Amino acid sequence: MTAYTQMRAAARICYFNGLLPLWRSPILVMAVFLTPFSFLFFLFVIERSAGGDLLATGVVGGVLFTILFTGNGMLNDCAYLRLERQLQQVFVASPVRSFTYVLGMALSELAFAIPATVLFLGILDLVHPYGLGALAVLVAVLLLTWLMATTLGFLISTFFRQQREIWAIATLIFSVLSIIPPLFYPIAEIPQGYRWAAFLSPSTYSGQLAEWAVGLDRGSVTPGWLAAPGVDFGILLAVTLLFSVAAAFLARWRE
Amino acid sequence: MDALEARGLAKVYQGHDREVRALDGVDLTVAKGRLFAFLGRNGAGKTTFIKIAATLLRPTAGEIFLFGDDVIREPRKARERIAMVPQEGRPWYHLTPREHIYEYLCVRGVSSATAKARADEMVEAMALGPFSQEPSFRLSGGQQQRTLVAMILATEAPFLFLDEPTLGMDPFARRQVWEVIRKAVQKGSTVLLTTHYLDEAEQLSEELAVVEAGKILYRGSPDALRARVGREVRLQFSGGFTPAELAGYGKVSSDRGRLTLLTGRAVVGELTQLALARGVEMTIGPVTLEEAFLELVGRSIEEEE
Repeated sequence: MTAYTQMRAAARICYFNGLLPLWRSPILVMAVFLTPFSFLFFLFVIERSAGGDLLATGVVGGVLFTILFTGNGMLNDCAYLRLERQLQQVFVASPVRSFTYVLGMALSELAFAIPATVLFLGILDLVHPYGLGALAVLVAVLLLTWLMATTLGFLISTFFRQQREIWAIATLIFSVLSIIPPLFYPIAEIPQGYRWAAFLSPSTYSGQLAEWAVGLDRGSVTPGWLAAPGVDFGILLAVTLLFSVAAAFLARWRE
Repeated sequence: MDALEARGLAKVYQGHDREVRALDGVDLTVAKGRLFAFLGRNGAGKTTFIKIAATLLRPTAGEIFLFGDDVIREPRKARERIAMVPQEGRPWYHLTPREHIYEYLCVRGVSSATAKARADEMVEAMALGPFSQEPSFRLSGGQQQRTLVAMILATEAPFLFLDEPTLGMDPFARRQVWEVIRKAVQKGSTVLLTTHYLDEAEQLSEELAVVEAGKILYRGSPDALRARVGREVRLQFSGGFTPAELAGYGKVSSDRGRLTLLTGRAVVGELTQLALARGVEMTIGPVTLEEAFLELVGRSIEEEE
C-alpha cells in the first residue's frame, strides 16, 4: 500500500469507527459532553455561592477535559477491539500499518469529541469573548493534547490482557490527567508549596497555554521560567513527541 | 515455490510458574493454491502456528516463509499478501455485514468500485442478503461469524488464514462458507484452515496435518490418515454383543448401549452373519476422519503417559 492509500485507510477507519456510530447513536455525543459539563455546573453553583470568578477557567477546563478524554476512549476502544473482538489482529495480518490504524482510531476518537468541544468553545466565547488569534492557538493546543492523550491511550492499551483491568487503568490515568491538575480551576488555587506537583502532569501545560491563549489572568503564581508560554508549549510538544515515539516503538502491535 | 514453509518453528510461553511449549520444532510446507487443514486438540498449537505465520506472534525459534518472504524478518512484505479470520473474532457492533466487507476492503487499499462489487458478490455468496442492512449487534452469533468470514474472504488475498471459521454456524451456513472457501481456492488463494469439525476438514482439504503437544503427528491426505489407522470399516451394533466378544475383531468403543467396531473388510461377512443370527441391528460404513484422528492422537497421548 502506498502512503496515499495508508492515509485513505486511516480516514476510512475514522469514518466507520467514529463518524458512523456518532451519526447512528447521537447519544454518544451527550455522553462525551456530560462529564465535563457536570464539573462546570458544580463550578458555576459554587462560584455563585462563594462569589468567585472561575467560570471562564472552568469552561477552558471543559474543553481540555473533552479532548483529554479522547485518550481514555482510545485506551478502552483499542483494548476492546483487540481483546474482546480480535479486530486489531485483522489489521495486523493485513497491509495496513500500525501507524495507519492508530491514526484512524485517534481520528475517530476526535470525531466523538468535536461536537462537545465546539459547544464548549462557544460557551467560552459567551462567558469570556476571545478572538480568532486565540482560537488558532487554542486549536493548536487542543491538537497537541489530543495527540498526547491518544498515543498514550494506545500505548497503554497494548500492555493489558484483560478488559476489566483496562477499565480500571483508563479511569485512573485519565482522571489523574484531567480532573486533578489545574484545568477546571486556576493553578493559583494550589498552595504554593505543592504547586510543583501540578507540573508533573502534561495536561497542566495544556491548561496553562489555553488560559494564556484566551487571556485569562494566570497572575504571577507560576514560578520563574515556567511562566513563559513558549516553555509550556515546548514541554507539551516534547511530552507529545515522547508518547508518540514510545507508542511507535514500545506498543505491542503484534501479540 | 511453496506458499508457506516453516522450519523448526518453536514457541515457548512463559506461564506463571512453568514454561509452556506451544510449538516444538514444527516443519511444514503448504503448496501454493491448496487448502491445507490443521487439526489438533485444544491447546495443541494450531492457533499459535497460524498467529506466527500471520505475523501476529514472534516465534521463540525457527524460520517461516510466505511466498519466499521471511515472515519474521520482513513481516510487512508478508502482510501485503495475507488476510486472517481470527479465532472467536467478532465484528464491529454498529456496522452491517455489507459495510464490514466494503469498509475493510477500502481500508486494505481496494478501490471503492471494486470494494462495492465484491461486497455485493460476497453478500450473495454467503447468503447474508436478508440481514445485510442490519447492524451486527442485531445478528445471531453464527451470522456475525459469517460476516467476519465474508469480510476476510472478500479480500481475495493470496494467502488466507482461517482459524475455526465456521465456529457456531448451523450446518446450512457451514456448507455455504465451504462453497465460498472452495471458490477462493479455485481463484488461486492458498488457505490454511484450523477446525475442530473433522467433517469440514474432510470436505475441504486435500492435505492436512495433525498437531499434538506442539509437534506434527501426521501430515498427508485425509484418505491416507484413515488408512493409517489400519482399519477401513466401521460397524455399529445396537446391543446383542459384549465388548469382549468384539475385541478380537478390532477396536471397540461403547456409547449408551451402542457398540462401535473399527475393523478390516475381511471380517465383515462373518460379523454380518453373527448379527443376523442374533437379530441385532448392524450398520456399516467407512472409518471417519474423526475416528482416525481420535485413534492417532489417542495413541500419542497413551505413549506420552
